[in-house]
Amino acid sequence: MTDLIIQTNHVSKIFGGLTAVNQVDLEIPRGSIYAIIGPNGAGKTTLFNCISGFYTPEHGEILFQGYPIQGFTTDFIAGRGISRTYQNIRLFSNLTAVENIMVGQHTNLETAWWDAIISSPRYRRENQKARDNAMHWLNFVGLNGYGDFLACNLPYGMQRRLELARALASDPALILLDEPTAGMNPQESEEMMAFIRMIREKLEKSIILIEHDMRVVMGISDKISVLDYGTKIAEGSPKEIQANERVIEAYLGPGGAALAKKYQNRRRNKQDA
Amino acid sequence: MTAKVKSPQVKQRDLGKIIRPIFGALVAAYILWRLYNVFIVEAKYGPQVWVSLLISGLIIGAVYSLIAIGYTLVYGILLMINFAHGEVVMLGIYAGYFVFEAAKAIQVPSSLNPELVFADAYPALSIFIAFIIGMGVSATVGFFLEKIAYRPLRKAPRLIPLISAIGASLVLQNVALLLFSPQLRNYNNPTVMARGNGWKMIINETPVNVPYTGVFTLILSVVLMLALLYLVRNTRLGKAMRAVALDKDTAALMGINVNHTISSTFLISGALAGAAGVMWGLHNGQVFNTVGFIPGIKAFTAAVLGGIGNIPGAMLGGMFLGLVESVGPTALGISFQLKDVIAFAILIAILIFKPSGILGEVLAEEKV
Amino acid sequence: MKNQQRREVIQKGLIFALLIIFVLAIGFHEIAAALVSRVFGVSVRRGSVAELRFMMYFFGLYAFVTGWANIRKEGSWQQKFLQGLLTSAVAGFVVAIFDLLLVFLVSNSIDIRQYLTAFSIPSMSYFLFEKGQAGPLYHLGYFIVFGGLGALLHTLWITEMVQQAFEKTKGFIKTFATKASDAIPNVVKKYGKYLLLLVAAIIMYFLPRMWGSYINFVVGLVGLYVIAGIGLNIIVGLSGQLMLGYAAFFAIGAYSVALLNAPEPHNILLGFWPSIIIAIVMAILAGILLGLPLMGLRGDYLAIVTLGFGEIIRILLKSDLLENFTGGPRGINDIKGPTLFGRPFSNDIQFMYIIFIAVALSIFIYQRLQDSRTGRAWLSIKEDRIAAQATGVSLRKYKLLALCIGAAFAGLAGGISAARNQFTGPNDHSLLVSMNVLSIVIVGGVNSIPGIILGAFTLKGLPEILREVENYRQLAFGALLIVMMIKRPNGLWPATRPLYEKSHCLENEELNTGKERKND
Repeated sequence: MTDLIIQTNHVSKIFGGLTAVNQVDLEIPRGSIYAIIGPNGAGKTTLFNCISGFYTPEHGEILFQGYPIQGFTTDFIAGRGISRTYQNIRLFSNLTAVENIMVGQHTNLETAWWDAIISSPRYRRENQKARDNAMHWLNFVGLNGYGDFLACNLPYGMQRRLELARALASDPALILLDEPTAGMNPQESEEMMAFIRMIREKLEKSIILIEHDMRVVMGISDKISVLDYGTKIAEGSPKEIQANERVIEAYLGPGGAALAKKYQNRRRNKQDA
Repeated sequence: MTAKVKSPQVKQRDLGKIIRPIFGALVAAYILWRLYNVFIVEAKYGPQVWVSLLISGLIIGAVYSLIAIGYTLVYGILLMINFAHGEVVMLGIYAGYFVFEAAKAIQVPSSLNPELVFADAYPALSIFIAFIIGMGVSATVGFFLEKIAYRPLRKAPRLIPLISAIGASLVLQNVALLLFSPQLRNYNNPTVMARGNGWKMIINETPVNVPYTGVFTLILSVVLMLALLYLVRNTRLGKAMRAVALDKDTAALMGINVNHTISSTFLISGALAGAAGVMWGLHNGQVFNTVGFIPGIKAFTAAVLGGIGNIPGAMLGGMFLGLVESVGPTALGISFQLKDVIAFAILIAILIFKPSGILGEVLAEEKV
Repeated sequence: MKNQQRREVIQKGLIFALLIIFVLAIGFHEIAAALVSRVFGVSVRRGSVAELRFMMYFFGLYAFVTGWANIRKEGSWQQKFLQGLLTSAVAGFVVAIFDLLLVFLVSNSIDIRQYLTAFSIPSMSYFLFEKGQAGPLYHLGYFIVFGGLGALLHTLWITEMVQQAFEKTKGFIKTFATKASDAIPNVVKKYGKYLLLLVAAIIMYFLPRMWGSYINFVVGLVGLYVIAGIGLNIIVGLSGQLMLGYAAFFAIGAYSVALLNAPEPHNILLGFWPSIIIAIVMAILAGILLGLPLMGLRGDYLAIVTLGFGEIIRILLKSDLLENFTGGPRGINDIKGPTLFGRPFSNDIQFMYIIFIAVALSIFIYQRLQDSRTGRAWLSIKEDRIAAQATGVSLRKYKLLALCIGAAFAGLAGGISAARNQFTGPNDHSLLVSMNVLSIVIVGGVNSIPGIILGAFTLKGLPEILREVENYRQLAFGALLIVMMIKRPNGLWPATRPLYEKSHCLENEELNTGKERKND
């Protein structure tokens, strides 16, 4: 078992003429909160999809705790300990909140269909355990009392939390969060940041997130990688990334670095004055 | 909490990737063997047989194409299988039948022939009227079908309109049954174009019949298909149809009247179905209330074959299906009873090996 | 009157007029009159037509409904009434004009029965109340009088007073029910379930002996369709795979039992019980064979392929190619029934027991599966394939599992059916059967056991009882499908959700109508 939870070597994903992910190398240590940022269309979600198994990269390999996982099906990889949430929430709309979380534990349970039919003691025990577990996670994300709401009837913020609960329920080693604070106001973003920190500290999970909200990214990440047009253009701590000229130009366009510096100077001058 | 790594690494076998080519190779080998048998070993069919089969294959293929286009148009724009389309064809067949009956009943006595009927005196006109009325009736049925059974369900999950379509199919079949009785009817072709008459080609010293009805069907189908392609590619309505097929809401925001466009699509699809129906009636003759059902399913097969949503694909798929259905049983040495099996077997095979159809599907919606 | 209303009056009037003309065109008016006469206790002999007055009653009723259904939604009561009356008058006018055509045909003895079956002279005359040329006036009069009456009564019905009285009665009944249920001690509630089951079992034992073999036949048929419906529901309702060729599995089950139990094709007489097991196994194998290549297919494609598969099976069974093996188009006759401890167990009563047990077993298995990890996995696949996969649910395994278990149910039903009818043939397994089962599930209510039972009864039981409308059965069924999908897509008896948590929202259940909650 290595110290890196995820290691990608020269991973490329090509769609016909478009190279969405171009030779990306990542080394993500266990227990870290790692952010992948970049302008829209940079290939971040595609990279996530490669890690979670939805896509198979054309080149390169992806190692999860030292074992290659590229090419395997999504459910296989999920069973090995990777969960994810989605940019546009993908809950099971017509299932209740509790049921959603119970599906989340699917890989942890072992009963088969015949167990269900004959209602073996193992089945009953496991069903009860699943139910209790689901209630635990429900309360953990703060949705006490909403267990029997259909997922589609929950307000947006709660749906996000439910998706997190579902991802946590399988007790993964790694969670991929795709824009967890999308659509949230600053207060909710702060709460989410605290929540993510807690997942890492209390539950000892590793987290990779895609984010556009820079305060969140800079606030909780240990390390950041920046993608632009599928290529990794920078990697480092939040401070290093903030100062990196190439990154600024990727977001603001050519000449952006100079522009940023000008505003920084102006602000410094104002502070001094 | 420890992470879950089940080591040593479990090797995942994708059986499909292994089995599929093997199975495909086996089936292909079997087919080749049978073809070899029929063509080379026994060689009991001279070229005249094949030409004759090819001709009927082309003819039935043309009819399937027209019906298939109807399916593909509706699927492309609404993402639903219009299960009742076969019945729309059937009603067109009945309409044409009644026109010819009337034409045969109206007397226009001339000096030469005191018992001359309208149909024989003015065959071209009769046929023209039959087509107009047939296409009109089918188009109207298609229009009301959409308005009553499909429009209220536009936002519903896919299964619901499908069930509604099945219901509509039942309704139309039974309305025809109740209105017109179960009596089997036969098209009363104008004498000039009687069923079975045709030019005689001599191949291999035997006469091969090239039926007048068949040639007429082929020519008219090609004309209609070209007209449709022109409509879809070069007219405003066609553009609107393509836009609505791609993104209904955005099309509405751009000022396209989505309801009108969809209704027009059903009108066109119905008209083509009606034309196909009259052709079928002229060429095959039989008219009964479930006559549209099996051709309907087969035509949908053809549409999927060519890539559902893809108009040239539907045309190709229809022709392909017609030819295979006609030539296939004889070529493979199988009984003629099983020609429907061939159609469905091909469908299943294509969908297993190339799910997007021959020309690739042109789909409207997000892929889940 | 404003333009909008005028247009509506004319449109609606036209629609109702066309509807009654349609009823004439399909010859239903005679049947309708017969049904009305049945209500009055006067039965009509097969082939003959009810007394004229019943035709008039029917027409009057129709006119009444026209008036009732077309009152204006808002406005003063005079406006409401007026709209209903005018619509009815318009309808009557259109019908009267159409009647002139009928009068013309009748008085000149023109018979177009060759083309439009219902337009025979006697039939048309009957429609015109046998009054010949005065017919149209009668029709117009009926529409105005009875339509007006209908409009008037409806206007009165929806006044404040009546509505309030209605609500009060409903509330009263509800409180009464709650008080009654509170009065039952807890102990009874807990064990009452088992008591009920025991009572049901006793009833199930005695009923088949009492109600005669015809009803046994009908109820048995309904039961077999319930089994098939549950099986299809697992495929379509739980795992979300649309399947249109379900009858194929039914056929496999039926033919397995048939081929192993009849003298004709092979003279194997294996006995019912082993054959049923084999039937189920064969159906499962077929499920695997069909399912493996198709796991990658999307919804509609899967539907069409399964349809094709069903048709292939039927054609093969009917063909001469396999005649030596499967008995060809004539099917297999003289299938021997089950035996229990050596004695034959195959009269209609005993088959009812078999079917009851099979239905109970099916329901039991379904309930268990639904509330389990497997059932939830299926539902997650149905809701969102991609998220389900990402949550660790193996698509291939579970889709195949659903298909095979569903197929097993069909095999069971098919096998019992073959033994009971002592015959099976290719026509017993047509596309129509698949459609019927699908309709039972959807019309009854997806994922709802009471719904499926209700659906099976409506589809198979009712038509047996309402024999007169036999010719119109399919038409009514098709129309029912369309109407159900538009009005009540969740089915006649929609599924209720199992609840895991006592949440406060339960108390507010009455206040939350389904519509409100959806608009989040």
